[in-house]
Amino acid sequence: MKKHYSTSYFLKQAFTGLWRNGVMSIASVAVLMSCLVVLGCFAALVVNINVNLDNIAELNEIMVYCEYELDDEAVEKVGKEIDSLELVKKSEHITKDQALEDLKNSSGDHSDIYDDMSGENNPLCESFKVEYAAGTEAAKVYDLESQLRSIEGVRKISSVYQTAKTIDSFKNGVMLIAVWFLVILFVVSIFVIINTIRLAVYSRRHEISVMRYVGATNRFITLPFIFEGVIIGVVAAAIAYFIEMYLYIYIEGKAADSIQIISVLPFENLAIPLAAGFLAVGIITGVIGSIVSIRKNLKS
Amino acid sequence: MIDFRNVKKFYPNGTVALDGVNLHIDDGEFVFIVGHSGAGKTTMMKLLLREETASSGAILVGDYNLSRIKNRDVPYYRRELGVVFQDFRLFPNKTVYENVAFAMQVIGTPRSMIKRRVPAILSTVNLADKMTRFPRELSGGEQQRVALARALANNPKYIIADEPTGNIDPKMSIEIMNLLMKINKLGKTVIVVTHEKNLVDYYKQRVVMLKDGKIVEDRVGGMFS
Repeated sequence: MKKHYSTSYFLKQAFTGLWRNGVMSIASVAVLMSCLVVLGCFAALVVNINVNLDNIAELNEIMVYCEYELDDEAVEKVGKEIDSLELVKKSEHITKDQALEDLKNSSGDHSDIYDDMSGENNPLCESFKVEYAAGTEAAKVYDLESQLRSIEGVRKISSVYQTAKTIDSFKNGVMLIAVWFLVILFVVSIFVIINTIRLAVYSRRHEISVMRYVGATNRFITLPFIFEGVIIGVVAAAIAYFIEMYLYIYIEGKAADSIQIISVLPFENLAIPLAAGFLAVGIITGVIGSIVSIRKNLKS
Repeated sequence: MIDFRNVKKFYPNGTVALDGVNLHIDDGEFVFIVGHSGAGKTTMMKLLLREETASSGAILVGDYNLSRIKNRDVPYYRRELGVVFQDFRLFPNKTVYENVAFAMQVIGTPRSMIKRRVPAILSTVNLADKMTRFPRELSGGEQQRVALARALANNPKYIIADEPTGNIDPKMSIEIMNLLMKINKLGKTVIVVTHEKNLVDYYKQRVVMLKDGKIVEDRVGGMFS
């Protein structure tokens, strides 16, 4: 005989089950939703760090700062030595007057605070902006850095490459914490969903026993509970998405106002991957919780 | 055909529930299984429903060998059985019609067939006029008739009734037994597990008596002694 199981039947049963155990259903959604919001925050943080790392990596520049007391001849000598290095593609001499001018320009409305520093009072030093080939291996960049440091008359160097390395290690640390945090949160989510489904199974135990005696298949008996898990996952994902969206847009606005050197991706770039990720993780967690619960509670 | 071949059932606590039972029931028979508490009646029911498996021996029901049946085939085997319980097991929030229709819905019967068949079955058990009632609005005997209608819903070959008159008054008991006899005359094999001496003696059908997990008497037109 052709089977006439309708999705609407399973959905109706699933919603009835969720309604009957309202408190546990809300708890399941809340825990899974919190988990997804945290997951989303970590994901957004990592994605933005990567974007900034890429921006930094594209700079492939090293700033070389000379000793303060160097005369023009010594500065010129430093410049020649820099140009003689194999990995240097281009170098640009930035006089201390020019450096002060750049500083003023980048300060916008507050540039007047530098007015007293011109001429003799300029506290800045002569420097060189050194550019090397994009995509140069890390080891070679390190070599170049130490060669530049060892040039006589060089006080210090500032490499965006080093900054990138520091940010990258920070990102790795964040990811490690995130992974552990998320593992714990997902275990808690699954545990709460297991208990929700267990209650649903318990409240329908008489119905299930009759279903068995009249020959309902295990699939027919268990599908409503799987649907319950899916509904929990979808609802949690939807709520988490909107919370994440408002949170992100709020932080993006704040960051744009105060930290201009960091570029924050607009939410639109994250929207689709975030929605798909939330939905996938929500549904998978819901289904895993349901299956574990059904296996434990529907055997007898 | 139902065949128990040297069936033994031991429980983990050491209880010997059935001890070498041999029993053959032909299609279309009416059989009372009687015995006092602990005789093995319940175990026999559980084995027939495939809630339990035999420790040794073989149980054949129609084309199914219950010792070898795969778990995924058990639901299909159970569709060959119609089961009636002492406590009716009706859904209080469903009407009489819905209680009977439920048995058909869960095995995927088309709605049009359900609409045709349920009223016909309810007529068989004389409940055609109470289709829209809820179980709480019915007497014990009527509730058991609904349970019987549900057992018949999927047109099973075998009707297994576990103490079907245990929760109803004697007059209603006769009514239920008459219905079971009527169903038997329609060609179904009917097995009634009971300890009600009066009914067994009155209907003079085949009586299989269990004692301490063994069949001690198997006689057509027998008495519950």
